[in-house]
Amino acid sequence: MAAGHKPLSDLLDEMALKILMIEPGDLSIVGELLDLTEKLLPGQAAADTPMVIQRMAAAFKGALEKFIMGELADSAENYDFLGQCITEMQESARKEGRPGEKILAQFCDNMKKIGFSLQPSDLLEATDAVSIGMGAAEDKALDEKASAVASPQIDSPQVQAPAAGGTGQEALPDFLQDTDLLAGFIEEAFEHLESIEVNVLELEQSPDDQDIINNIFRPFHTIKGVSGFLNLKTINRLAHATENLLDDVRNGKRAMDSAVIDIVLTVGDALKSMVENIKDVLQNGPANYKDTDISSFLVNITQLQEGGNGAPPVEAVAAPVPDLPPEVFEPEEREEVEVLASEEAEAEAPPEPTSARVAQGVVSPRAPQQPASPAARPAADSGQKKIGASIKVDVEKLDALVNAVGELVIMQSLVRQNKLVSRIADAKLTKDFSQLTRITSELQRTAMSMRMVPIKQTFDKMIRLVRDLSKKSGKKVDLIMEGADTEIDRNMVESIYDPLVHMMRNSVDHGISPSADREKCGKSETGTVFLRAYQKGGSMMIEIEDDGEGLNTQKIRKKAIERGLVSESDNLSDFELNNLIFLPGFSTADKITDVSGRGVGMDVVKKAVEKLRGKVDVQSQPGKGSLFTIRLPLTLAIIDGIIVRVGTERYIIPTIAIQESMRPDRTNYSTVHGRGENLLVRGELVPIIRLYEIFGVESTNTDPCEAIVVVVENEGRRRALMVDELLGKEEVVIKNLGGLDVPGVAGGTILGDGRVGLILDLAGVIANKAD
Amino acid sequence: MEAANVAQNLGQGAELAGKYLTFSLGNEGYGVGILSVREIIGVMEITAVPHTPPYIRGVINLRGKVIPVLDLRLKFSMNHKEYDERTCIIVVEVQGQTAPVQVGMVVDSVSEVLNIAAGEIEPPPSLGSSSETENILGMAKAKGEVKILLDVDKVVGEGLLQQLAS
Repeated sequence: MAAGHKPLSDLLDEMALKILMIEPGDLSIVGELLDLTEKLLPGQAAADTPMVIQRMAAAFKGALEKFIMGELADSAENYDFLGQCITEMQESARKEGRPGEKILAQFCDNMKKIGFSLQPSDLLEATDAVSIGMGAAEDKALDEKASAVASPQIDSPQVQAPAAGGTGQEALPDFLQDTDLLAGFIEEAFEHLESIEVNVLELEQSPDDQDIINNIFRPFHTIKGVSGFLNLKTINRLAHATENLLDDVRNGKRAMDSAVIDIVLTVGDALKSMVENIKDVLQNGPANYKDTDISSFLVNITQLQEGGNGAPPVEAVAAPVPDLPPEVFEPEEREEVEVLASEEAEAEAPPEPTSARVAQGVVSPRAPQQPASPAARPAADSGQKKIGASIKVDVEKLDALVNAVGELVIMQSLVRQNKLVSRIADAKLTKDFSQLTRITSELQRTAMSMRMVPIKQTFDKMIRLVRDLSKKSGKKVDLIMEGADTEIDRNMVESIYDPLVHMMRNSVDHGISPSADREKCGKSETGTVFLRAYQKGGSMMIEIEDDGEGLNTQKIRKKAIERGLVSESDNLSDFELNNLIFLPGFSTADKITDVSGRGVGMDVVKKAVEKLRGKVDVQSQPGKGSLFTIRLPLTLAIIDGIIVRVGTERYIIPTIAIQESMRPDRTNYSTVHGRGENLLVRGELVPIIRLYEIFGVESTNTDPCEAIVVVVENEGRRRALMVDELLGKEEVVIKNLGGLDVPGVAGGTILGDGRVGLILDLAGVIANKAD
Repeated sequence: MEAANVAQNLGQGAELAGKYLTFSLGNEGYGVGILSVREIIGVMEITAVPHTPPYIRGVINLRGKVIPVLDLRLKFSMNHKEYDERTCIIVVEVQGQTAPVQVGMVVDSVSEVLNIAAGEIEPPPSLGSSSETENILGMAKAKGEVKILLDVDKVVGEGLLQQLAS
C-alpha cells in the first residue's frame, strides 16, 4: 500500500461515522463527507481500491452534491439512505471488491430512493478503463460537478443568511491588523461560547437561578468588549444586543423564559459560526470572509426587550429562591473573578489565558446534574469554589516531559539492576535508592496527570445533543451525568466524542420509546439516560444507560442466523447475543432491531473504541433498558502488555486483546489440507498464527503443542498466536519506530534491560497472515 | 542526465567543500557532511524488525528514542562483515516525510573529520548505471586517498522510502 493513502476500510469507517453525525440543517458535515468521498474517486483512490467501490463512490459523491446544492431534501430519511449506501460500500470492501449482485442492487435501490437512478451494471462496467469507462454513474457525477461549479459553491454552510441590507459591510482589513490578538480572541471566544451553551441548558432546569444568569451574561460581556476592541463590528453588535437583553433579565425587567433561552442559544450558534469564519480568514486569507446578516437577530432581541412575545416580568426572578440563599452562590472568589472578567473587557484587551481559565472554571459549574433535588445543589456548589491558577502549556513540551520522565524511570531501574551496583551491600545506598524510586514514580504520576483533562467538556456537549434530540422526537428525556470530573488523556477526548454521540443518539432515538408507550408499560413519562464516567482498575469506564425498551434479543438472534453469524443450533447467552450488534455486517439496512442508527452499524463504534485500545459491550434487559459500557485505557502513551519470547526476540502483546494463553493439547489441534492450523478453544475453532513464521525469526519450538499459544481477539476475530514463552506483564511506553512503518508492528518500547521490544499490532498480524 | 549531473557537480564543487566525517567500508573510504551527523556510538544490540529489507538491521534505543539502523555494507551490496569492536553506528539526521528523523548507519570504522576544499572534489565517476552513483555527491582526493562523499539524504531517505513502499 502506497504511503499517504489510508486503508480503504478506515476511510469507509470514517465516512460511516460522519454520516451519523449529520443533522438535517447542518451541511458542514456533508462537506466533510464529500472530502472523504473524493479520496475514493477514480484517479485519486489508492491503487488497490477496487474499481467497483470507486464507481460507487463516484455515484455517492453525485448524491452528496445534490444535497449541498439543495436539490435533495435535507431530511433525516434521505441521510438514512445515504448511510445504507455507505454500509453497502463497506460490505463490498469486505468482500474485496467483489460484492454480490444483491449488494449492488441494494446500493442502486437506495440511490434511487434519493432520486439518483443507477443500474447495477453501471457499477460493474469493464474494469480497466479508469477515465472513460466510468459508466453512467460517473457521468452523472461529472454533470453534478459542472452544475456545482456554475452556481456559487456553498462550502461552509453556517448559519448565514444572505447578506441583506442594514448590516453595514465591514471593511476587511480592519480586524486583521493584529493577528496575534485575534488568534487569542478566537480561542477565548470558543471557550466562552461553550460555557454559555452549558449554562443556558442548565438554566432550563432551574430558570430562576440568578447565578446561572450571571454566568451567561458575563461571557457575552467579555465577547462584546474584546470584539469591539478588535473591530469585529458584527460580532460586537450581536453580543452587545444580547447582553442588553440579558441585563434586563438580570435586573428583573423580564423573565428568563423559553423565548429568551432560544434566542440566546441561536445567537450563541451564530456567534460561533462567525468566530469560525474569522478563524478561517486568519488561516486562509481575507477572501474567505463572510458578512453575516444579524438584522433578524437584532429585531428578535428588540422585540423581546419590548415584551414582544415574552411573558411579563416574573417576581420569582427577583425574589431569592428559598432553598438557595444568594450568599451560598456569591463566594468571595466569585466577586473577584467577576471584577477580573469585566476589567478585561473594560480594558479592551484580550483576556490573558490565566485569568480567563479561572473565569472559565467558575462560569461553567457543573457537578452531577440533579435538577430534581435542590438539596443536592449546595453540595455540588462546594465543588465550584475550588479555583486554582492554571497555565497553558504547549503540548509538545508536555510530551517531551512525559518522554523524559519515562526514560528516567527506565534508566533508574537499569542502574539498580547493574550487576556491580546490586552487589554493593550498603544500607545507605539501599535507602537512597528507594527514596529515588519514590521520587521518580511521583514525578511520573504527576507528568502523566498533566496530560489528563476532565471528560466534562465532552459530556457537556451531550446535554445539547439530548435536548435537541428530545425536542425533535417529542420524547421527554432527562440526561443525568455522573463523574464528569473523571480525567481522561487529552489525546483521547476528541476520538471518543463521535462514538459517544452515536451511542447517545441510539439511546434516545431507539432505546427510549415515546411517552405514551412508556406510560402504557407503567414507566414514568420522562425517559432517563444516564451518562457516567469513572475509573476502575487502571481503566476509564464510560457508561450509557437508558431506561427504555432494551434490545430485542430474539430479533438479534434471528438476524444473526439470517446473516450466517451464528447457527440455529448455537446456544448463546443473551449477553453474547446482544453483543452481536457490534459485529461488522450486522448493520441494519432493513432496520429490524431497535438499535439501528442511520443504517450504519454499531461496529463503527466498536472500531473507534478499539482504535483507542478500548472495549465496548452492552447489557440489556427487555423492557427495562440497556447499558453500554466503554472501557478505555487511562492514557494512550502507555500500553499494558504481555511480553512474549519468540526465539531470541521479544514482542509485546496488548493485554486488552488477550483472552487466554495455554499449552495446547494435541487432541485439540487440527489442520486443514495440512496447512491451515486450528486449535479447538472452548468449543470454537481458532486459527493458529505462528509468530516466528510471519516475523521471519528463528523459534525454539516449531510444534504448537510444545509451545505456548496466546488467544487474542481483534475486531471480532480470534486467533491463537504461537510463542515460545511468556516473560511477564508490564506497562510500557509506546514509541514510534523512528520512521519505520511495518505491518503487524504498532511501535516499539524500551524494555527493562534497555533494549527495544516491538509492540504487536494485532489487526496487522491477522491481516498479514490472511495475505 | 549524466552530463547535467556532471555540470551540476562541477558548479557545486564550491558548495560541497567543507568538513566531512570519514569512515571506511572494506578498503574504501567514505565521507558524510559533518552537519548531518548527530553522534557516533559503538555498535549495540539491534532489535530486528520484520518485513524490512535486509540492509535495515532493525531499531536501537538511543537514550530513550527508538531509531532505525541500516547497514551501509548491505545497502551498497557489499559483503556482510561480522561486527567487531571497531564497528560503529553513525547517527545522522535527515528530513523525513514530516519531521527530521534520526537514523543510524553501521560502518566498519570511523576515521576522522577532514576539511575538504572545493578543488579536491571531483564529480562521481560513471559506473554504467545512474542508480549506483546517485547516492554520491562527489569524489574527494584528500591526503592521497580517495573518499567517496555520500548524499546522506539519498542513502538514508530512500532506504526508508523503499522500505515503506514494499
